[in-house]
Amino acid sequence: MPINKLKTLYFWVLLAFMSLLLPWSQAALIVRPDFMLLVLIFWLIRAPNLCNVGTAWMLGLLVDLAAGTVFGQYALTYTVTVFFAVTYQRRLVLFTGVQQLIYVFSLLLISQVMLLIIKTFAGGHFIGWMYFLPSLSGLLVWLVTMGLGLNTGGRGRAN
Amino acid sequence: MARHLYNKIEQQQAPAFFVRGPSPFARLAFFSVLSLALMAADTRLQYLVSLRQSLQTLLHPLQLLANAPTQLYLNTSEYFSARNILLSENQQLKKRDLMQSIALQKLNLLAVENAHLHVLLAAQNSLKESSVAAEIMYVGRDPFARKVQINRGQNHKILPGMAVVDAAGVIGQVTRVYPLSSEVTLITDTSLAMPVQIERNGLRAIAFGHGRDSNLDLPYLPTNVDIKRGDRLVTSGIDGVYPAGLAVATVKQIVSGTDKPYARIVCEPAGGVENHRQVLVVSKPQLDSITTPSITEPVKLGLNQATRSDKMQKMTNKSAKPSDAHAH
Repeated sequence: MPINKLKTLYFWVLLAFMSLLLPWSQAALIVRPDFMLLVLIFWLIRAPNLCNVGTAWMLGLLVDLAAGTVFGQYALTYTVTVFFAVTYQRRLVLFTGVQQLIYVFSLLLISQVMLLIIKTFAGGHFIGWMYFLPSLSGLLVWLVTMGLGLNTGGRGRAN
Repeated sequence: MARHLYNKIEQQQAPAFFVRGPSPFARLAFFSVLSLALMAADTRLQYLVSLRQSLQTLLHPLQLLANAPTQLYLNTSEYFSARNILLSENQQLKKRDLMQSIALQKLNLLAVENAHLHVLLAAQNSLKESSVAAEIMYVGRDPFARKVQINRGQNHKILPGMAVVDAAGVIGQVTRVYPLSSEVTLITDTSLAMPVQIERNGLRAIAFGHGRDSNLDLPYLPTNVDIKRGDRLVTSGIDGVYPAGLAVATVKQIVSGTDKPYARIVCEPAGGVENHRQVLVVSKPQLDSITTPSITEPVKLGLNQATRSDKMQKMTNKSAKPSDAHAH
């Protein structure tokens, strides 16, 4: 069972990575949700034994490579975000659908704020409130996958 | 998997609930420190350049796969594009070709004259540059930087620091080179500065990218500087990176307050920074001992592609004869 799950996890990670490599441009680039982090959060909720802070760090490095940013920026961002996710993972079973949505949204926001802090330290400029759009679009993706009947854990799965 | 392993080793069956290895906080601390160390190694110490290069090469097939759908779409839409569009485009190109060949004839004459004057001035060196045509693969994914990836790299003799231009002007500079692709920082990126010159009066300045919007800034120019809206900025060539005289931007707005020592000058890039696919990577101008050019051997502009230069040669040969007669 875990082997099978692990394969599925790898498949989803690969898919998220490919989505990252797509030639996004203009508005799509601004709105594009962070698929990698979404997959990470999803698997963290479903199978915390397969996917933990270390996994997040490794995937963050992959994203760093693909995005051409300094090695360690996304790695640190994902590490911190997943730490928060893991801390509240046990409580999540009691969450209802809406609570889970808020939880996921705040995780996405944490990752973006974290990245913003790192980038600002590195001499970057805040690019405006549009910067936070990926969190909203990520939430939308989460909502759609939940609507499509994907089991995202939490109390909502009973119905 | 970890759990199974743990269960095998530990005979005393602990509830799976608590089997989680090191605490999340310990993991957080460990990986955060690791990330910070990596960042330092990458930015300050430049240790990871070759690692990034090799990993990026491994990634290249995946990147091509991801680009395949858009490439296919572009190709098919090109294939099915209407005949009249192609015809009108052809006509326009012919017209432009004619205009440019006329301009080129004049230029050849000027180049020869210039070389002659250089000889008279006993200047021993002239600048020559070569170029490589490339295509933009994708726009950079980092929202904080203005970068694009092009499909030419180390294997095509691209070096970091080369200038990247399109038909209308400079668009950026090669900053990272991988074996099969390279990263170009656009002139609108905040980290890129380029020495420019106002075409009208030769005033030198340094243009910085503005980052947020696709504009350029001309900081550190006094409020009483002779600059007008619509002035064209060209590369000055004194940095030895960009060939001199390439169009960079036009002045869009000048804000000068009496309370500020410097004017705020906003410029619009001349090159299609965001909307072209084909670009040209121009090598750094190299000092070459001057060869006495003859009028029958046209000076290679560097910006011409190999396929077109043959045609040009014929044209310039034809045009060269009458002017030769004039000179004598």
